[in-house]
Amino acid sequence: MHNVVQAVILGVLIGGVYALMASGLTLVFGIMKVINVAQGALVILAAYLSYALFSHLHVDPFLSILIVTPAMFVLGVAVQLVFVRSLRGPDSQELSLLVTWALALGIEGVLSVVFKTTYRATNPSYADKTWTVFGYQLSFVRLMAFIASAVLLALLSLLLTRTKFGRAVRATVQNPTAATLLGVDANRVQTLSFGLGVSMAAAAGAVYGVIYPFNPGSHYDLISRLLSIVVLGGLGSLGGAVVAALVMGVTEAVVAVEWAPTWAAFSYFVVLIVFLLVRPQGIFGLRERTL
Amino acid sequence: MTRTLARVAALATVAALALAAASAGRAASGPIKIGISLSLSGDFSDSGKAAERGYKLWQKLVNAKGGILGRQVQLSIQDDTSSPTQAQSNYQTFITKDKVDLVFGPFSTLLTAPSAVVAHRYGYAFIEPAGGGPAVFQEKLNNVFFTQPAPVLQSGDVFAKFILSLPASERPRSAAYPSLDDPFSSPIADHVRGILSKKGVKTLYTTIYPSETTDMGPVIQKVASKHPDAVIGGTQNDDAYAQVKAMIQQKFSPRFLFLTNGPNDPAEFPSKVGAKNVNGIFSTGDWFPQEHSYGNAAFVKAYIKAYGGTINTIDPTAAEAYAAGQLLEAVAKKTHSIDNKTIISALHKGTWRTVEGNLRWNSIGEPQGSDLLVEWINGKLYPVFPKSVALHKPLVPKPAWGK
Amino acid sequence: MTRAGLLRAGAFIAAGIAFPLVFSAAWLVNIGVLTLMYAALAVAWNLFSGYSGYISLGQVAFFGLGAYSLGITFEHFGIGSGYNPFYALPLVGAGVALASLPVAWIALRTRHMTFAIVTLTLLFVVQQLAFNLHSITHGSSGLEVPPPTFSADTYDQPFYYAMLGIVVLGLGVCWTVLRSKLGLMLLAIREDEEKARGLGVRVTGAKLIAWWLSIWLTAMVGGVWAYYLTFIYPESSVDPLVMIGAVLMTFLGGRGTLWGPVIGALVLVPAQQYMIIHLGGSQLYLVGYAAVFMVVLLLLPRGILPSLRDLIVRLRERQRTRGRPIARQRAAT
Repeated sequence: MHNVVQAVILGVLIGGVYALMASGLTLVFGIMKVINVAQGALVILAAYLSYALFSHLHVDPFLSILIVTPAMFVLGVAVQLVFVRSLRGPDSQELSLLVTWALALGIEGVLSVVFKTTYRATNPSYADKTWTVFGYQLSFVRLMAFIASAVLLALLSLLLTRTKFGRAVRATVQNPTAATLLGVDANRVQTLSFGLGVSMAAAAGAVYGVIYPFNPGSHYDLISRLLSIVVLGGLGSLGGAVVAALVMGVTEAVVAVEWAPTWAAFSYFVVLIVFLLVRPQGIFGLRERTL
Repeated sequence: MTRTLARVAALATVAALALAAASAGRAASGPIKIGISLSLSGDFSDSGKAAERGYKLWQKLVNAKGGILGRQVQLSIQDDTSSPTQAQSNYQTFITKDKVDLVFGPFSTLLTAPSAVVAHRYGYAFIEPAGGGPAVFQEKLNNVFFTQPAPVLQSGDVFAKFILSLPASERPRSAAYPSLDDPFSSPIADHVRGILSKKGVKTLYTTIYPSETTDMGPVIQKVASKHPDAVIGGTQNDDAYAQVKAMIQQKFSPRFLFLTNGPNDPAEFPSKVGAKNVNGIFSTGDWFPQEHSYGNAAFVKAYIKAYGGTINTIDPTAAEAYAAGQLLEAVAKKTHSIDNKTIISALHKGTWRTVEGNLRWNSIGEPQGSDLLVEWINGKLYPVFPKSVALHKPLVPKPAWGK
Repeated sequence: MTRAGLLRAGAFIAAGIAFPLVFSAAWLVNIGVLTLMYAALAVAWNLFSGYSGYISLGQVAFFGLGAYSLGITFEHFGIGSGYNPFYALPLVGAGVALASLPVAWIALRTRHMTFAIVTLTLLFVVQQLAFNLHSITHGSSGLEVPPPTFSADTYDQPFYYAMLGIVVLGLGVCWTVLRSKLGLMLLAIREDEEKARGLGVRVTGAKLIAWWLSIWLTAMVGGVWAYYLTFIYPESSVDPLVMIGAVLMTFLGGRGTLWGPVIGALVLVPAQQYMIIHLGGSQLYLVGYAAVFMVVLLLLPRGILPSLRDLIVRLRERQRTRGRPIARQRAAT
């Protein structure tokens, strides 16, 4: 029983970080119906930036969030303007899938050239610090990463519900035509939201590198997880992404401890497939309208 | 008429003989072309580049000495992007298009196994530095020569032998075996377990984790909960670092800790797990920088001169590749030929000296020696067993973390 | 079939048969095998994703399953060597396709984007299974297929012809489907699935049949590849880059057309090899590949064939309206 609870704790902590990464992905889909397959690669890019800041300038990884996030926001806006916006026509959704995949490959290639393929990890002095609470081990960095993710997700939620921009975003998600009629600049909303989605990934990436070793190829594993999370949660639903991410973290950790580590990732996919059988639109997803 | 005919015939014969002599002479003095497929991009690129450095260094040194049999060595290196399909294509191109004289092996068992089949089909010798997994030897090809002291599957056996060399009271009574799902990792730990479990070391827990696992927390949690005397892990570098870090985080310090990879990197290991945490951890390796093997001192010196770094940052893959070159040099010297058939039959007899130690193989290319057992003592890495190669007395049991 | 179409098909088959006989150097035939492998994968992908409009990103999972199935058939059913495995291919492929139907049925209940993602996760699921089911697949140690004893000079030819056979078969299937009721149903689904369903089209059935055919071809290609390489590993048999290549080739040639995927493969595979030789060592290979991908998607989104067709139509139009007095032109429009 102790093992299971410990695993649940581990799962929740890492689930929070995944939730942050997935939030950007599901947000972008909700607004533009674009799946940004490069989200994983952007997380890894942020991890490398944070690693470089730490290795050369001794910037603490959690502080580097303040630097990396705005930088990647700009990158996200640029990517949307250059690559995504130019896609037009009936195939634009599928094309965007492939364009963002090409972007992911490009990022992987550039990272391989600059950083080589050795695994890196950002190793601040507190990397191994653990607290023992009621007999359970709590890793300091994972706890910090979870708190950072929770704070950022809360800020995102506030942005979407309390600000004018947020209202414009939600209007565009619900009914793009009506939103435009009401004076919302759809293009601007889309571009800024894409940037926002990328900056969420960036923040998560900065802390990801402290928890896990990574190399340019790590984005494949990440994006498959993120995609399954947003599908389970329901494409476009922020709350769904958070719940699904926690489900993933906990399922994998518990299966790893109670059954076998090699079946941990697989078990999550089983959960996903079974759930889709019952509810194809995901936990909080809406039945897709044809219009 | 007849006399003219005779003269023409004589002239023609002389001309033909002259041409034959000239072309034979040309063939004997042209460069020796060696085709090598290496992973210069993709997952294996770091090791592929290390192998490239080893091969090129050997080429430089051997050409400076006059080449092989008076001919300069020319390396034709092609990227296989870490893909077995591409490696197979590359060797086909080398052999049937470029018509190279010889080939050396690529990096990793994954790429070596299909490539060896291609080489065998055309009768080429396949001296290969980095394909030591069972898949390579499964096909029982007589042209394969793995340039390391022992097949990968048996590289952990040296630890088992060390344990059994200790007095019974000092040996671990129980062991846990957490290993990576990888042909070089879990089978090695299994092999060690096979030896130790028969000699009274109780197996408390065995587990295999997938290769993308970056979170060793749950696995180590399970291991620690069984309280084993020894932890014997089949690992690569990153999961080894993660295992150690998880053990430190969970405050679990076994009396014996052996990981097949990770602690055997003299340059990286301390920075990855904390310099104070390394002492008493065992690992194994096919090559050690300070080893007293044939040509090793010269190799190390030349490597640092050419590529910089320190003695501890030399990737063993470079030494393995260098050894392949040394073998070719030695065979050519002994048999005065670089004909593939001759090479194959010559290497199957006797022992051959290289930086990787003195190598000899059985009929299907498995080396018949033993790897080195290395251990961290006082913050430095030393070979400690077998006694013939040991540079320090072993330290048992493992001190607590941070000592 | 139009006379032009028949001629095109005949020319292609004749050229395909002649190639290894004329260019018999093993390395050239090897490139031929790779080109035809990608062409077959592209044709198979196009059959489902091009005609139905549902982008499937899991195709390579079934390539891997086909490879493993052939390997397992070797090990457990003693198929024998030589040409026998080639004869077993259609059965092996059919088996894999049949096994994929339940998963396809679940996936097809979701809408387009979700479907794409679910098929992508299939990729990772199959790879995990390949790693984990040790007793069947030997996990990460890989499955070995005993190499056939074909003569060294013409060793690659049987594999080449096997791949050529699958390409021709695939093209034949596509052509038949396009001209059949199934083809009409698929096109209707691609246009507007709800409307099609409303009109009584058996939407799920049509999609599943197209899926089955696509997977049947893909699995066969995987089987030939496994026999050719003689070693099957999880990482190399389920490789996302292989699939992206096939998808890219289909897009380049023209999604939804008959010959588009083949043309895409004929252009891209040699280009790929060229890039590996010249860009390989510097890691820029991946960047170069991504750049080509991007260029094709952004500048030629409909692919070569449809763009060419449009160009020809426009040229013909211009020719037709040239030389006519303006008044009559206006009357013509």
